[in-house]
Amino acid sequence: MSKYFTKEKMHYYRRIFTNPLDSFYEIRYREHGSIPVALICVLMFGLVFTMNRIFANFIVNDIDPRTVNGLTEIGAVFMMFLLFCIGNWSVTCLMDGEGRLKDIVTVTGYSLTPLIAVYIPATLLSHAVAAGEEIFYYFALAFGIGWTAVLVLMGIMTVHNYNLLKTLITLVFTFFAMFVFIFLAMLIFDLINQVIIFIRSIYTELIFRY
Amino acid sequence: MKKISSCVLAVLMLVAAVIPVSATGVVPYDSYIFDYWEDIVLTPAPYVPGRSVTGVSVGAGAFSGPQGMTVGYDGRVYIADTGNDRIVIINAEMTETVGIIEEFYSDGIADTFRSPYGVAVCRENLLYVADSLNNRVVVLDGDTAVKIISDPQSEMLDEGFVFTPLKIAVDYAGRVYVIARGMFQGIMVFSEQGEFTGFFGTISVQITPWEIFWRMISTRAQRERQVLFIPTEFTGVDVDPDGFIYASNIDPAGEQAARRLNPSGEDVIRKGENENLGGDMGFILSAFNIYSGPSRIVDIVYRDKGIYSMVDTLRGRIFTYDREGNLLYIFGGLGNQAGTFRQPVAIEAFGSQIAVLDALRNEIMIFDETEYGRLINEAVGLRFDGDEAMAVEKWRQVLVLNENLEIANVGIGKAYLTAGDNLNAMRYLKLGQDRTFYSIAYKRYRNEVLKENLPAILTVLMIVAAAIPVTLKIVKRRKRRREGGEGA
Repeated sequence: MSKYFTKEKMHYYRRIFTNPLDSFYEIRYREHGSIPVALICVLMFGLVFTMNRIFANFIVNDIDPRTVNGLTEIGAVFMMFLLFCIGNWSVTCLMDGEGRLKDIVTVTGYSLTPLIAVYIPATLLSHAVAAGEEIFYYFALAFGIGWTAVLVLMGIMTVHNYNLLKTLITLVFTFFAMFVFIFLAMLIFDLINQVIIFIRSIYTELIFRY
Repeated sequence: MKKISSCVLAVLMLVAAVIPVSATGVVPYDSYIFDYWEDIVLTPAPYVPGRSVTGVSVGAGAFSGPQGMTVGYDGRVYIADTGNDRIVIINAEMTETVGIIEEFYSDGIADTFRSPYGVAVCRENLLYVADSLNNRVVVLDGDTAVKIISDPQSEMLDEGFVFTPLKIAVDYAGRVYVIARGMFQGIMVFSEQGEFTGFFGTISVQITPWEIFWRMISTRAQRERQVLFIPTEFTGVDVDPDGFIYASNIDPAGEQAARRLNPSGEDVIRKGENENLGGDMGFILSAFNIYSGPSRIVDIVYRDKGIYSMVDTLRGRIFTYDREGNLLYIFGGLGNQAGTFRQPVAIEAFGSQIAVLDALRNEIMIFDETEYGRLINEAVGLRFDGDEAMAVEKWRQVLVLNENLEIANVGIGKAYLTAGDNLNAMRYLKLGQDRTFYSIAYKRYRNEVLKENLPAILTVLMIVAAAIPVTLKIVKRRKRRREGGEGA
């Protein structure tokens, strides 16, 4: 277990803030990445995201806190994360990407760190703003989102050995792929549901007859 | 298994025997309100069904599809008994008939009504009757017609327009406001002399870009079969003591079913936090559910202190708003029990009571206010008069009965804000989900804290500002020494 959290791996995790391209290169080609660390990042993001939805000041938060379920939120964050990784993997496989699923997961998970770091102070900050001053809160959030977006872009670019244009194109395709997955998943759920209803109605029919 | 279930049953029966039956459980409808998130929140009943008044109970003979009702300045109730072609006048207590007008005399000749639809009374106690199938409005003093408004002439009216007045109202200057059948341009206004002066409160049609797009790509044959974009119809009209016209209309979008029209015909109604005056929110749209679609508001009544109520014929509900457009309470429902409606068509209010005329049941249902309804009405009234401090007491009592009422929390919060207690104001305004006033309270509170602690804050800032360069220098020196040590 401890091989995932070695000092060296943590060193390259920290380095994504100072030398992102270099660090992502090490992760891809010298095995300096750690999937558990990436997954912990996603979990942390799920937590702070839920916290934000529950505890952010009602001036900036239109959500009824009673309707927020932490497990559902974290589950949804993980779903979106995996959807993005698998979508990106399936697209880049066809477009000469050098990255493995492992690298995509690591890079994307690591890239969420600025968002985690920004969400907590932003939630606290939201309690210090009045109507008309929300821009400070939204600016803090936008800062984190922007940083994460840049990191994801750099990470995907590095692990697949792409240029910027190709990265952007694959990202667009990735979102298409995500939609296709969602569509297929809904289709399958619906079909399974139909089958279950069919079997159940046969069962009830039999019960009523015999 | 059997043992367990009988055990459970015994416990349940015991519990049922201990818990007293609540008085509100008797009311045959739900009372609710919408909160900030437009979710339904059940409330105590603001009004409970009192007695019902039928034609037989007042000794006038059964009503037949009555469509209109109004309360005169002397308290007497006038009912347009449409199916029987007569007007029935009942005393203020609604116990007995004072008069029945079946025929009247105009210029000494006896005349009768045909389907009188709406009635109105002016301050001089003249009775205005919308005599719908005779295409005229009859103004009566006792049983003599003093004036007859018919066949309006104007360039604004189409060729071959047939004037069929349905609902009617009269203001303090004797102007007559008539809602006529098929008249989509607005409410027709007649001068005191009975001349048609123009349309009033025209509702402009709003076409969404999506609809324009569909019309662009559809063929001529398709377009002919599409729904016409016509303005919504007015359904009910009432006059407040200031001379403003309250009018209800049918809104397919369910957003605004009430209008307050100033003398030049502009809508000056105020919408509350949810920007909605359409009755039910979040209604379902379904072809199979009778409960689908937006509320069909058929009549409106201005009550007192800026409060107005309107009645929905689709689900039989009565919606009440205050002058600021806040929803106060919703009650009523369709059904066959006493206290429910089959087809409510008109609403009136007198004192603490609300009366609703039902055209299918041929009766007037009278609702009495409960303590909950009374407290809300009084609190809103006190705020209307500007007496916030007194209103707070009422709001506190309302909160005892219904902790979740946002307007009560906002009312208390605003009073605290006026009194300068910003922290308490923030607490209550947050409970009431009022973002604007919460922010005002918060800004004041923040300034207060800053002002009180300014010396301390400035001292800390000075120390920090002084400490940073010193620390940096120390760190740099240590680093240099360490490097020097390593080098040596």
